[in-house]
Amino acid sequence: MLLVVCAFAALALATPLLTRWWGTRVFSVVAILPAAAFVYTLTQSATVIAGGEYTESVPWIPQLGIALSFRVDALSWLLALIVTGVGALVLLYCASYFSPSEPALGRFASILLLFAGIMYGLVTSDDVVVMFIFWEATSVLSYLLIGHYTSRKESRGAAIQALLVTTFGGLAMLVGVAILVVQAGSTSLAVIVATPLHGPIISTAIILVIVGAGSKSALVPFHFWLPAAMEAPTPVSAYLHAAAMVKAGIYLIARLAPGFADTPGWRETLITVGLITMLVGGWRSLRQNDLKLVLAYGTISQLGFLALIAGYGSRDSALAAASLLVAHTLYKAALFLTVGIIEHRTGTRDLRRLSGLRRSQPVLAVIALVSVASMAGVPPFFGFVAKEAAFTALFDSGGSGDAWGWIALVGIVVGSVITFAYSARFLWGAFAVKRETAATPVTHPDNGVILIAPGILALFTVAAGLASPWLDHALSAYADTLGTGDYHLALWHGIEPALVLTALVVMVGAVVVWQRIRVTRFQATVPPWINASGAYWQIIRYIDSFSHAITVRVQRFGLPGYIAAVLGVFIAAVGAATIMNRTWPNEVTLWDYPAQVFIAVAMIIAALCAARATQRIAAVLLVGVTGYGMVTLFAVQGAPDLALTQALVETITLVVFVLVLRRLPSDMITRHRPRHQVFKALVATTAGGVLGIAGFIALGARQHESVSERMPELALEAHGHNVVNVMLVDIRAWDTMGEIAVLVVVATGIASLIFVNKRTGGAPQLPQARPTRQLRNRRAIVLEPDTRSATVLNGDSSTLLPDPDAPTRGAFLIAGRTLSARNRSILVEVLTRLLFHPAIVLSLYLLFVGHNMPGGGFAGGLVAGLALVTRYLAGGRYELGEALGIDAGRILGTGILLATGTALLGLFLGGEVLQSTWFQQDLGWVGEISIGTTTLFDIGVYLVVVGLILDVLRSLGAEIDRHLDEGVQANDTLTDSPAEANR
Amino acid sequence: MTWLVPLVVILPLLGAAATLVVSRNRRLQILLSVGMLTIVTLVSIALLVIVDAGGTLAVQVGGWAAPWGITLVVDRLSAIMLVISALMLLGVLVYSVGQGIADGDQETPLSIFHPSYLVLAAGLFNVFIAGDLFNLYVGFEMLLAASYVLLTLGSTGVRIRAGTTYIIVSLVSSVFFLGAIALVYGATGTVNLAQLSERLGELPGDVQLLLHAALLIGFAVKAAVYPVSFWLPDSYPTAPAPVTAVFAGLLTKVGVYAILRTETLLFPGGQLSQVLLWVALLTLLVGILGAVAQADIKRLLSFTLVSHIGYMIFGIALASLSGLTATVFYVVHHITVQTTLFLVTGLIERIGGTTSINRLAGLLKAAPLISILFFIPALNLGGIPPFSGFIGKVGLFLAGSEQGGWLVWVVIAAGAVTSLLTLYALMRVWNMVFWRGKSELEGYTSPMLESLQETDEATIGKVQSTTPRLMVGTTIVMVCLTVSLTFCAGPLMDLAGRAAADLLDPSSYLTAVLGGGNG
Repeated sequence: MLLVVCAFAALALATPLLTRWWGTRVFSVVAILPAAAFVYTLTQSATVIAGGEYTESVPWIPQLGIALSFRVDALSWLLALIVTGVGALVLLYCASYFSPSEPALGRFASILLLFAGIMYGLVTSDDVVVMFIFWEATSVLSYLLIGHYTSRKESRGAAIQALLVTTFGGLAMLVGVAILVVQAGSTSLAVIVATPLHGPIISTAIILVIVGAGSKSALVPFHFWLPAAMEAPTPVSAYLHAAAMVKAGIYLIARLAPGFADTPGWRETLITVGLITMLVGGWRSLRQNDLKLVLAYGTISQLGFLALIAGYGSRDSALAAASLLVAHTLYKAALFLTVGIIEHRTGTRDLRRLSGLRRSQPVLAVIALVSVASMAGVPPFFGFVAKEAAFTALFDSGGSGDAWGWIALVGIVVGSVITFAYSARFLWGAFAVKRETAATPVTHPDNGVILIAPGILALFTVAAGLASPWLDHALSAYADTLGTGDYHLALWHGIEPALVLTALVVMVGAVVVWQRIRVTRFQATVPPWINASGAYWQIIRYIDSFSHAITVRVQRFGLPGYIAAVLGVFIAAVGAATIMNRTWPNEVTLWDYPAQVFIAVAMIIAALCAARATQRIAAVLLVGVTGYGMVTLFAVQGAPDLALTQALVETITLVVFVLVLRRLPSDMITRHRPRHQVFKALVATTAGGVLGIAGFIALGARQHESVSERMPELALEAHGHNVVNVMLVDIRAWDTMGEIAVLVVVATGIASLIFVNKRTGGAPQLPQARPTRQLRNRRAIVLEPDTRSATVLNGDSSTLLPDPDAPTRGAFLIAGRTLSARNRSILVEVLTRLLFHPAIVLSLYLLFVGHNMPGGGFAGGLVAGLALVTRYLAGGRYELGEALGIDAGRILGTGILLATGTALLGLFLGGEVLQSTWFQQDLGWVGEISIGTTTLFDIGVYLVVVGLILDVLRSLGAEIDRHLDEGVQANDTLTDSPAEANR
Repeated sequence: MTWLVPLVVILPLLGAAATLVVSRNRRLQILLSVGMLTIVTLVSIALLVIVDAGGTLAVQVGGWAAPWGITLVVDRLSAIMLVISALMLLGVLVYSVGQGIADGDQETPLSIFHPSYLVLAAGLFNVFIAGDLFNLYVGFEMLLAASYVLLTLGSTGVRIRAGTTYIIVSLVSSVFFLGAIALVYGATGTVNLAQLSERLGELPGDVQLLLHAALLIGFAVKAAVYPVSFWLPDSYPTAPAPVTAVFAGLLTKVGVYAILRTETLLFPGGQLSQVLLWVALLTLLVGILGAVAQADIKRLLSFTLVSHIGYMIFGIALASLSGLTATVFYVVHHITVQTTLFLVTGLIERIGGTTSINRLAGLLKAAPLISILFFIPALNLGGIPPFSGFIGKVGLFLAGSEQGGWLVWVVIAAGAVTSLLTLYALMRVWNMVFWRGKSELEGYTSPMLESLQETDEATIGKVQSTTPRLMVGTTIVMVCLTVSLTFCAGPLMDLAGRAAADLLDPSSYLTAVLGGGNG
């Protein structure tokens, strides 16, 4: 059975290609597959009818208990015959229905074929999850088929409507199924049905499943998608919306009825819904002028009938349901195909414009007559047999004291009257000779092959009616799973209540037809109570506008709102936890040194002032104060390393800020009202306070000693006396490796913002300095600067005139000359000249002593960076290029290479990653020297820091200088693409 | 085989360094980054196989025993995350190479894109193997710093604006994460996750709750759960297509991963389950309503991204074996399908010049292949069977049904509604963008489009004349990957089940990290 499904899928995949070769003939060819499946199912008949079953199972997701298990028993067998048989006929019909010029024929053929396979899978799968997969697959394929005419807006709307409605039901059903699976402990439908389950949760599950079945089988209130789906090509309507897909819901009801018919809620719901559907569908059908819609509403009505009788849950009703299922499939598919032929031949399906087809289309008229008669329940056709069975089943049930039986019986009798009426209306509308309408011309004759499919269906309707005693055996096989009963299908049971009811139906129905004008007039006076389609659109609109409203509301506040949300959640959650906290620390140490209090207060004041500042530079400086406050806090606590590093970082940060501020307006504009500011201040201080109190509680709860207690001891093992540095480059070097990667990326990011799409290259150098790096040449440049090039590079008018003092004033820094006189300071240049080299030496010193004394690669790199900063500030961008003209990216890359290389070295040397190795040598009186791989790592850190600062100076400094020089306005670069500006 | 573990971080970093050094050589850069990620993918797969067969691996970095040094741990969950992220990163990288070859450096400038992308990868992998709370933070910082760069590539005004929102929110959340680490260290004196697992349990319940809540907040912002999710749709959609794809697929999952660890290793027992259920509920609903209101496909997908995080939070909140199993499965599914959808959207943008469904039409005719490439993952995201989104959902629903309780039922219902609305939003895209004819575009009205939010930047951009084979090819492979999740659902769900079992019983994790007797 799995193989059958796979065969369908495979052939469906190939179909588009085949269509390219064979055109419309492809339909006849691929119809062979469902026909073969039909035959295959027929071969299973004997076993199945005898009460046996075919099973197969392939494991799929054992964790969830889901398996690709299939089971063909009497019910599945019946449905499998229906979907494969009608599927083959419809495909055959398509071959004549479509013209070769039809667009997207390959896609259509492929989907329709796949649909047949999916339907087969649906009715034969035993695993309820697998069944659900097929179930939803039919929804999606039906979406694609209904929307086949993609250029029609109605078609697209109907497609998405059908998809949403059936998926809505599907999801409800999925939840119901999940409950059933968990309660029954199995995903097998057979096991679920066989397991006695009770309780309100089962009732809920059952209702949810019925919602799913109802949405698929177009029961009220989900019925509205079916008429809309008539936008689809007629073969689709015949197959999906009459024979196959809409029967899936009925199948599910029939499948579950043996186990759940007595569950509270099942019978009540199905009878109520079924009756309403039957009446509403029939009532609406009488009002349609489009033949296809007459049938569509008729289908809704019949589906209601089917749901009712299948759900009723007695053995006899089940027999009736099975018969009705077969009868309905045969006549409704035939009728849809008939309408398709009428439209195909005459170009219309409006019953007001059709006339005289009885004469011009005699064969078609006979096919339709047989099918309509079966639909109306007129003997000797199979529809009559089925309806008789239903009447009897409900009559007997009512007779044995079930009030629901009487209600159902009265309901379906009324429904049958309406059915009779719209059946007659269909026949009259399609084929009658109407006096007021001229005979409809046949504009598009065909060779008659198209009649084969409906003809066969009609033949079956006749044959099944006549052969009903023999069919009884096959159909009872399913019914007998619901208990015992002695009713048998037959054309003639003698004068029975059911026959009386049929006679009543026919008579009243005839009256209704006779008085049709009055009926129509009466119908017009009744308002449409149930306007489900309108409701659907209303709901869609409501969802859309509600979504819009709520999204606008939550997204309205932008960044301040998002931050407020984060802070708010923090205050709410952690604040609540602190309030509920009952384990407070016993002792309170507010400070270790009184100095801490003063520093803290100063930092708080600076922070508050920074928040209130209106000038950017003031805000930056005040933030700097809090930073230096941290420095002193570290220093007071006895952490010289941290203090040193923090101080260097703060200094660099200030410089960077100043560089950036050149491109920003000096004042910050606050757009917010004071009320907002108060709110913000409140939120911010509360969050800070909560964090503080939380820290107090957390620290007080300490039970174990900290891992840091052993660090000094471990540091000695790592040949270092500086615990902080040993942690950075050895014990927690992995963290450091990550953090220097962050630095690299930050540098890259800044370069990206400023240079936009290329970051390679160093800071600009003086053109003449490039060829050789010899000091002599440099001096030559300094002494005899190329005034012209300097002017061009500078662009400042003040340097257009040669500066008489230039040679002497330029002597201190190589590129000093490139600056305009008013930007130069001799004092700074001298100091820079004097300090630069010692600073570099100091940085190297810090780098190498770091392991035992305050310092390390990070601090060293910062010092070297500051030295570069000084060069840049004193001598401008060309000075920077002269100081370190290498591509910053390369320095960064080399730094990371060193660090990661060290990490790998540990692996290569047979240890763990980043494991350090020392080289020790006693140098006699000099002492012992110990060099470790950690030093390499630290050099990597050093390089990354230097590279970062160089990159920042290059982009935020040198490049922005260039922008400014070229007269690029600040606003342009920050709001528009600098790429534009660069061009 | 523990030496494989650090490679997943070191190799991308090495690659980043190398691409910086050879930044003038385009081909070599491409070769390096693709090569490194390929090796990392293979290493991850090897790790998954090894860990699944032989149990959790732990590496004491530098030979410093836990808890003093940093421990790297790969258990099944980590290995799964490594494999799936490595695959995604590799796929998106190849896609962006294709785009770069076609368009030049404008969208993804090599000298910036490659190093940043590799650092992002390194950070991501580091998060998944971190056995140390502070190192977890470092991993976050790596990937976030790299993401800042990638988000603002090209520094157009739109991207800078989006980047500002993203960076500031991320920094704020990082501050809280760091603060939470400080609190945890203050209370326990350690940051080693395994040791924390032991020591946190010994703390008084009140203090546990405090620390638990503090830790979750930082992660929640990263994972973008309600009510700290609003930043995401304002940040992601403006970036270049491959960048958005990676962000959408992977970055939020890092938060989910961290929450998963927090709820199992650090604070087992479902102390905050009720809260998480509420969070899941609101995330699902508010997120999907946002998606329904969007006209821009990228923004729409960003909202579905937020919404579907709710499913994972739901599974975590259930804190049962089946719940966690389904969550792990769902994470894998969601990473794959979101990444793929954003890549397809990148293709749509090339062909249509825009991603606004109000201005796109006729793509079924213009690009049938891309239509299929959109349709399949769209159904998958919408939870239509037999695709993996459906399987994950079934797993979650079954897990929820086992547990019961009114709130669980409500979340299940919300999950079903979310699924339906996801389908609605995506099929509306299909109706308008693919089915609707190009000629209908002028003056088109439909009740379905009335309340859609158009983004400020919705302008018809340049329609690229060519769609590089490499981009389409990668997308095809990715779509096939999403489909293959269905076929491999059995083994994958089994694996997820074993991973979940590890999570519920951390003894193997603790033994691997701390050794047998060291408690």
